[in-house]
Amino acid sequence: MLKKAMKQPGIAINSARCMACYACFMACKDEHCGWDTALSKAQPELGQYWMNIVEWERGDNPRHIKTATVPTPCSHCDNPACVAAAKDGGAYKRPDGIVIIDPEKAKGQKQIADACPIHAVYWNEDLQLPQKCTMCAELLDDPDYPGFEPRCVEACPNQALVFGDLADPDSNISKLIAANKVTQLDGLGSMGSSVVHLNIPSCFIAGTVAYPEELEEVCIGANVKATCEDGTVYETKTNWAGDYEFEDLPKGKKFSVDISFEGFKSVHYDVLTDADHYVDITYLEPIA
Amino acid sequence: MAERIMPSSAGHPKEKISHGVCVAGPMTVHTVDGVIRRVRPIVLTDDDTPGWVIKARGKEYTPQRKFTMSLLGYCEKDRTYAYDRLKYPMIREDFVETPDGKNRNTENRGKSGYRRASWDEALSLVAREIKRLQKTYGKETITACTSSHHSWGLVGYKISLFNRFFSMMGYTRIADNPDSWEGFHWGTPHTYGYYWRLGGPEPYDMLEMAMQNCETIICWSSDPDTSRGGYSAQESALWRWWMKEMGIQFIYVDPFNNYTSVKHADKWIGPRMGTDAAILEAIAYVWLTEGTYDKEYVRQHGHRFKEFADHILGRGPDGTPKTPKWAEELSLVKAMDIKAIARRWAQTPTTVGSGMRGGFGGACRHSNGTEYARLLVLLSAMQGMGKPGRAFWGPGCGAPMNYNFWFGGYSDPLASIAKAPIADDVPMNSVSQVLYRPNLPDAILNGHYEWYGEGFCGGGIDLEFTRHVYPAPGCNKVHCFWRYGGSFFGTMLDTNKWAAMYKSPELEFVINQDIYFTPETRHADVILPACTNLERTDIGEVGSSGLGGYCSHSESGNSWQMIVYQEKAIEPLWDSRSDFWIFSQVAARLGFGERFTEGRDEEAWAKRFWQFSDLPKQMSWDAFKKKGYYIIPTSLKEEDKDPKTGLIANWDRRPGFNWFAENRACDTMNHKVFQEEHLLGTFSGKFEFVSESLTYWAPDDEARRPIPQYQDSWEGHTSLTADKFPYGLISPHPRFDYHTHYNQHAKWLWEIPKNRVIINGNPYLVCHINKETADQKGIKDGDVVRLFNDRGSVLCVARVSYRLYPQTIHAYTSSGIYNPIEYGKYKSWDKGGSINVLTPGRLMGEYVPGMAPYSCNIDVEKCEADPNYGQGWEYILDEVDKQQLETERPIRTSMDADLIFGEREEWIRQQMMKKEAI
Repeated sequence: MLKKAMKQPGIAINSARCMACYACFMACKDEHCGWDTALSKAQPELGQYWMNIVEWERGDNPRHIKTATVPTPCSHCDNPACVAAAKDGGAYKRPDGIVIIDPEKAKGQKQIADACPIHAVYWNEDLQLPQKCTMCAELLDDPDYPGFEPRCVEACPNQALVFGDLADPDSNISKLIAANKVTQLDGLGSMGSSVVHLNIPSCFIAGTVAYPEELEEVCIGANVKATCEDGTVYETKTNWAGDYEFEDLPKGKKFSVDISFEGFKSVHYDVLTDADHYVDITYLEPIA
Repeated sequence: MAERIMPSSAGHPKEKISHGVCVAGPMTVHTVDGVIRRVRPIVLTDDDTPGWVIKARGKEYTPQRKFTMSLLGYCEKDRTYAYDRLKYPMIREDFVETPDGKNRNTENRGKSGYRRASWDEALSLVAREIKRLQKTYGKETITACTSSHHSWGLVGYKISLFNRFFSMMGYTRIADNPDSWEGFHWGTPHTYGYYWRLGGPEPYDMLEMAMQNCETIICWSSDPDTSRGGYSAQESALWRWWMKEMGIQFIYVDPFNNYTSVKHADKWIGPRMGTDAAILEAIAYVWLTEGTYDKEYVRQHGHRFKEFADHILGRGPDGTPKTPKWAEELSLVKAMDIKAIARRWAQTPTTVGSGMRGGFGGACRHSNGTEYARLLVLLSAMQGMGKPGRAFWGPGCGAPMNYNFWFGGYSDPLASIAKAPIADDVPMNSVSQVLYRPNLPDAILNGHYEWYGEGFCGGGIDLEFTRHVYPAPGCNKVHCFWRYGGSFFGTMLDTNKWAAMYKSPELEFVINQDIYFTPETRHADVILPACTNLERTDIGEVGSSGLGGYCSHSESGNSWQMIVYQEKAIEPLWDSRSDFWIFSQVAARLGFGERFTEGRDEEAWAKRFWQFSDLPKQMSWDAFKKKGYYIIPTSLKEEDKDPKTGLIANWDRRPGFNWFAENRACDTMNHKVFQEEHLLGTFSGKFEFVSESLTYWAPDDEARRPIPQYQDSWEGHTSLTADKFPYGLISPHPRFDYHTHYNQHAKWLWEIPKNRVIINGNPYLVCHINKETADQKGIKDGDVVRLFNDRGSVLCVARVSYRLYPQTIHAYTSSGIYNPIEYGKYKSWDKGGSINVLTPGRLMGEYVPGMAPYSCNIDVEKCEADPNYGQGWEYILDEVDKQQLETERPIRTSMDADLIFGEREEWIRQQMMKKEAI
């Protein structure tokens, strides 16, 4: 039972704000390594990441590189696969939505770990026990514990992790979710969850436009249009550095990219958003 | 933000709460029955001061009501109960206390094992040896040196405690070099003065200035999310989001697309190593040819600008116009990109800075680093440095702060137990001989060494040119080295040379006083185990370096100015003792025990710092101890609060360098006398485009010319070794460590995939290699690779990436782990990740005694050999933990200790069995 009345405590994870500083990752280890609680056995010193940071590099050319960083704890799903896979109450969902693996009853039930669609449940070979994030429920329940947020949220310096009541539309977390793009993890499909990911990037198309090469000048204000195979049109202009970028495009689509600038020949590219792409430098040719 | 945050200092019935500070920020420590349960950030309570508020572009910005610790702080539990803690005093197994100091098997240092000793045996041996050495060779025969920042607190820090002990005993001091900002220290005083800030700029109120005025911020050689303002934790992270989200354009220049850049940069360029100066010259060329610099400012405040302009435009002696194309050939950054940045810089209010506080950054740790630093200052001047939006500043410091509240920082002359008024008895070192840290091995191995310059030259430009000879006339050579706190294996260059030094019979006696069994500890004859910060009492302000020159007011890197009572959280583990206790004991045996302690224990000394500060006016000692910390309000005046929000809206604003731009006498808090006359600290009092001080002191200096300019490095892409070792190595200060103080000890860090990868039990350091390079060499992501040159080899795990260009390889410096496969064999492959095995020991120039790790050529190959032969990783455990298993169990009063130690012991057993099998 939570010490503060919250119908559905949850964590919003704003991937756009995450710097992968690993404060949440370490705070989680600090809390759970070496100590048993009523809700979990101790996390081993090495090998489990209840707050995992999934990171990938975006782009295929040093001229335009980004990283995606996605803090990934247990999602505390609405219909948890781990609970479905568990026998004898080895895993259960509390009335407040927090999913707990029972440290006694789940013994020997490796299928609980295997069932997780986002690989957030770890198998402890020594204890023969599946283990995962508890949303620090043991702390949130404890009336004497002086903090009021899960350790990862308290540790985040970037306000990328936000804790609050998902059932209350006026809470900060609900407002944040309403104002941002919800991007559930792939493994969850459209299932709801008490950990809500925001702004996980999909794909970009980027490039640079320049005047004829011998002039050594970037072209500012060139028109760039990206047309998706489904007909959606995205438009932008090159910035002060001659760069353009279309961010968060739908994945796996064919795009035609058209660059035009008055007095110069138009340039056309076909780009597939199978991954993030940089369309190199486009040197314009004057219209003769 | 959460709806409600409960006060962090409220009690828990079973848990004791105390507070601490480390380089990763302040912390709340929860203990259960004398064992650390958890380490949390300090979350502010309602009775703490309201925060400042910055009003910019129609919005109000105030910091979160918590102090944001960095990841390293959260490792404190893992680090305190670390597997490699020194548990008992130890003496090298084959050390023989010969009466003449000869024949002591010194060649086995680093190889031999140890036997456990009692404190009395170890301390008596230390005292006997010191007396013998002093009698034989004089007081100068003992030398000693400390790392930086292995602990925090005004009692225990090196400038305080270490200084007090050794000054009282008399010793050959080892001068530190400014290893993190060499180019600024040895360069920019000749351009804009500020030698009393060791070359760094003024950070004052720069955050507000930037938020209100800037449209572009250039972070040159800067990764603020990694360097964290030095020791300001993650406090500035939110500020950069504010600035980013209000539309300020961020430009990052760094050969590696670093961790802040890859998230924040609107434009990143990655020059070839050591060519930053050329790009800066090309930017000046664009401004000069397009007439887009601040001509009136330069006319008023610049000295000999025309000669500089002639040099840039090709009318100088070298006849080469420094065009963007010229810079492109050197740096491989496209001329069009250089032009675009030059124009953005000129056309919009642009602030530029290097490294964590503006005057740092890896690019200045290069043979050409002084010239890069000076050019950066001069270009900032060409755009009106000090005008609103036109600052010289890095976005990791400069928050609003209270300049009128006195509490000492660590380098403050008035805040040390070695100095008055804290100490009643102020010791003076009776030995005038000095050594110089970067070349200590050369001095010991060759018996003679000469160099120019004091280590830190905050007292005046002339100090850069003092001539030193070792041994000093009339002095004996040193024969005893007392190493204290942390490991230089990892931070000092050409590591193998340090290992060789320790084997020299010249060093008759080596003492190592440390918390951990570091690679350097392993070379001692006697090991004195110290306890951690959490096992003793101290006092300190978070992130405050003080007025001793280390970029004073560094605490402006925090959103909150916080003074912490660093209460002892747990008793010293095993047989470790506080450094204060250790020094007191040795002092007692040498006959100056009472003089050393003045009858005070650590808490009594800590109270002295409270007493000689402005804190008693706000809080009694007992109240301060009970609360555990005090936050200095940005203003103490009630009328400075915003009536609506209660936030502090007004304070004593002193925007850095604005006084100079506006021809006022200096009104910031670090001025020198001549600044009263609105002058800079150069000979001419102006920005010296041609340096008069260099012309006067060192006209023949080949590293620093009167006009700063790009020069090919003695080790770079044009040098002879480039054919053999074609890649430039970039080895910045680490994101997942602090100097050498965390990575070996806190295993949690090894699980960060960008830090280390554990293969067969060995935590390999990660290096970044460009995809094209990797393809040529047949290297795949995750492969073990060998980075090598003529100085040695380091095994790393490759991350194949586009975050750098093919000519560059990235691996963080100061690994903390130095683990050659065959210990003691020269150039044996290191699999600990001690990247400074590869970097040159050479100084930047004859007159420039800085080190230059960025001047380093290497090659890379896939490691086909099995790197798992040899003694491997378990060497660290050999002597420490073997005894642990044989002797009584350590303090274990709870499940926590049982689990941590239990797991560790099992692991050690496995390692031992493996070893026996070999």
